[in-house]
Amino acid sequence: MSWKKKNSACSLIPAVRGQYHRPNFQTLASFAVADDNFLYGVLLLVDKKRRKLDTATLKLIKLACLMLAGTIRQALRHDETKKRIAELSGLYEIGMATSATMELDALLERILSTAAKVINARGAILRIIDEQTGMPRVASEYGEVSETSACLLTSNLETAVVSGELPFVATTLPDHQGHLHSYLGVPLNFKGHLKGMLCVFDKMSETLEFQEFDAENRQLLFTMAGMISSSIENALTFRELETLAEKNERMVRVLTVLQEISWALMTTVRMEKILDIILNALTLESGLAYDRAVVLLVNEDRHVLKAVKGVFRKPSPPTLPLREALMVPVEVRTESEIEKLLSQLQITLQEDKGILARTVLQKKTFHIAQAEQDARVNQELRRAYDLQEFVSVPLIVKDQVTGVIVVDNQQSKRAIRDEDVQILNMFANQAVLAIENSRLYSTIEANNRELSLIRERMLESDRLAALSGLAQGMAHEIRNPLTSIGGFARRISKKVGKNSPLRHDVEVITQEVERLEKLLREVLDFSGVNLGYYEEHDLNQIIEDALTLIKRDLVASNIKVAKDFALLPNVHCDDRQIKQVFYNLFQNARQAMDKGGTLTIRTYPMEKSDGLYAAAAVSDTGGGIPLELLHNIFNPFFTTKEFGTGLGLSIAERIVSRHYGQIEIINELGKGVTFIVTLPIAKYCLIKSTEDQEAQT
Amino acid sequence: MKKILVADDEMSIRLLYSEELKDEGYEVLTAADGREALDIVEKNPLDLVILDIKMPEMSGIEVLRQIKEKNPNLPVLLSSAYSEYKQDFGTWASEEYLVKSSDLEDLKAAVKRHLQD
Ligand SMILES: [Mg+2]
Repeated sequence: MSWKKKNSACSLIPAVRGQYHRPNFQTLASFAVADDNFLYGVLLLVDKKRRKLDTATLKLIKLACLMLAGTIRQALRHDETKKRIAELSGLYEIGMATSATMELDALLERILSTAAKVINARGAILRIIDEQTGMPRVASEYGEVSETSACLLTSNLETAVVSGELPFVATTLPDHQGHLHSYLGVPLNFKGHLKGMLCVFDKMSETLEFQEFDAENRQLLFTMAGMISSSIENALTFRELETLAEKNERMVRVLTVLQEISWALMTTVRMEKILDIILNALTLESGLAYDRAVVLLVNEDRHVLKAVKGVFRKPSPPTLPLREALMVPVEVRTESEIEKLLSQLQITLQEDKGILARTVLQKKTFHIAQAEQDARVNQELRRAYDLQEFVSVPLIVKDQVTGVIVVDNQQSKRAIRDEDVQILNMFANQAVLAIENSRLYSTIEANNRELSLIRERMLESDRLAALSGLAQGMAHEIRNPLTSIGGFARRISKKVGKNSPLRHDVEVITQEVERLEKLLREVLDFSGVNLGYYEEHDLNQIIEDALTLIKRDLVASNIKVAKDFALLPNVHCDDRQIKQVFYNLFQNARQAMDKGGTLTIRTYPMEKSDGLYAAAAVSDTGGGIPLELLHNIFNPFFTTKEFGTGLGLSIAERIVSRHYGQIEIINELGKGVTFIVTLPIAKYCLIKSTEDQEAQT
Repeated sequence: MKKILVADDEMSIRLLYSEELKDEGYEVLTAADGREALDIVEKNPLDLVILDIKMPEMSGIEVLRQIKEKNPNLPVLLSSAYSEYKQDFGTWASEEYLVKSSDLEDLKAAVKRHLQD
């Protein structure tokens, strides 16, 4: 209040002073215009004549002074009240504005217009700076904002926020046309930190005259700033919460979809079904809802990426839940030209062949916003498939790209957001797992098939061996007595005369024995050893197959296997028989190492004087064979009391010699035994068997 | 007179072979197992041995191995009820491999062939 009084006194004094110094005043009386609290002013009475004021007059003047003080006080109070009411109504209006809405844009608009109106400014500007980026986070304007004003404000605010100093309070600047503009700014603090600024400009009087902002305006704006910043803060928090909630909701929906997809993918190991589920997931309305999707797989042999299937978006069947809709088989509609084309897509894996090739080669996702303008895009493909915005995602397993998923929204033109690309990547991870599973499964299935085939063959050869053993036993048991019966019958028939009645009887015996011997030969031929089926085979593979058969036994006996295989030319052999050779050698080694050990298998080519051989050395760590037994190990009769190792080795030996090969044995007492099997390579063997045939004829 | 050893654990076979060979004009000695056969080979100058494979004590293959070690020029004919070892042992060290048969013509022809050489 006191500054107002001083101010009004200041304006009075110069006007009085001129007259006060006039020398022709004879009388000067001074009276205080005051009440009990304040001195409002001084009343001077002057007269050219000399006068004496009597008591009554003085009293009257004092009374008048008192009344004058009362009037002044009233006027001042009225003024004061008016201003306070204006201020309060300004604050009230700002209060109304700040609490009207939580929606940020509407809130800012109301705050700025109200602030300008309350302060009689033509416009207002608001900036809030993002501390992390230093860029305006919120920018709002009301009224006609000159470029100068906006620049001034922003640069001033940025400096202030960075330095932590207060921004300007009030200033006057000319615009580019030379017109003066006044500005009044107030800092906006959030949680005690300066982050923004509100500025009003161009104060106008009621008669639309240019005015400068006064202290009262500043006071009011400062008071309002607190309310404004807290309401903006609330609105910002609210907006963040809202976007967060929205994002959460979207994520929950997407995760649910992904979960359904992964559930569907887990129901099958069949590649065809998996691909259908993937395509459904990408294009179903209730799935990821892309307009088009195509799955391409890498063919490593031919270095190409080949489309497996491509489809268009279909509306979800209304009655089917997603997980069932996903399983509906996808059929490429042949009537749709582009769908047919999609499914025939094939791309050579070179960088310059476009985005899909790059996706494989660079193992990363590409999001192409405008295919036509992108130099990396294969323009031929773009035209053929009408590509605009699209995403190409690699299917990566164990750091290998096995395929690519491509999606776009060709018809709906729905924009693909970064978030969508992220989801696609998540989806691709699931899809590739399912694809890989399916591949592994089919490998296992193939292996199983092969294994059971091998088992079958083993059983077959076991059966043959058993039959052969039985036949051998029979041969021995029957052939001996038959030989002597028939032999003696022949002797008798030679000795009895031609007309002897005995002769016929003896001949019956001879003939019957002959019949039995013939039968024996047939049985032996059938069960015999010459059922071989010779072809060219890789010895390493045969050894691997034999190992597979005995692997479990070896593990159970705590025997480690060390392999050192060289590349070998093919051998001409009956693979089943040679497999039997190694199986027997492995069994033998296993029996020699009943307390565990290492089975070492080494293959290598070997040149002998008569040609080239494939050699395989099978070593055990079973301590070797006692010398007194060594010379008998290949003898089939050595251990005939039991079907033990002896027979196995003798069978092996026989098979190998039948293949024009050799088994050598290196016995290291205290260490182990090495059997070296050498088999002639295919070419040589063919020549040899022809020679052999020629020799026989 | 050429001297032939017939080694076979089957008595009837020994009897048949020796009767038949004697009829052909050979002197025939017999052995009932591998060890006895080696014994006789050591103690008698022989011209030919007919050897069974499956015998107790010592198999014919082992007898063959020992005979060939000491007396590589003595012809040995393997005579077995097993036909399938023919290609394994027939070409190994013995002169012939004959599957036992009531028809002894092949055996006699082989004996004659190897005694002529
Ligand atoms: Mg016998």
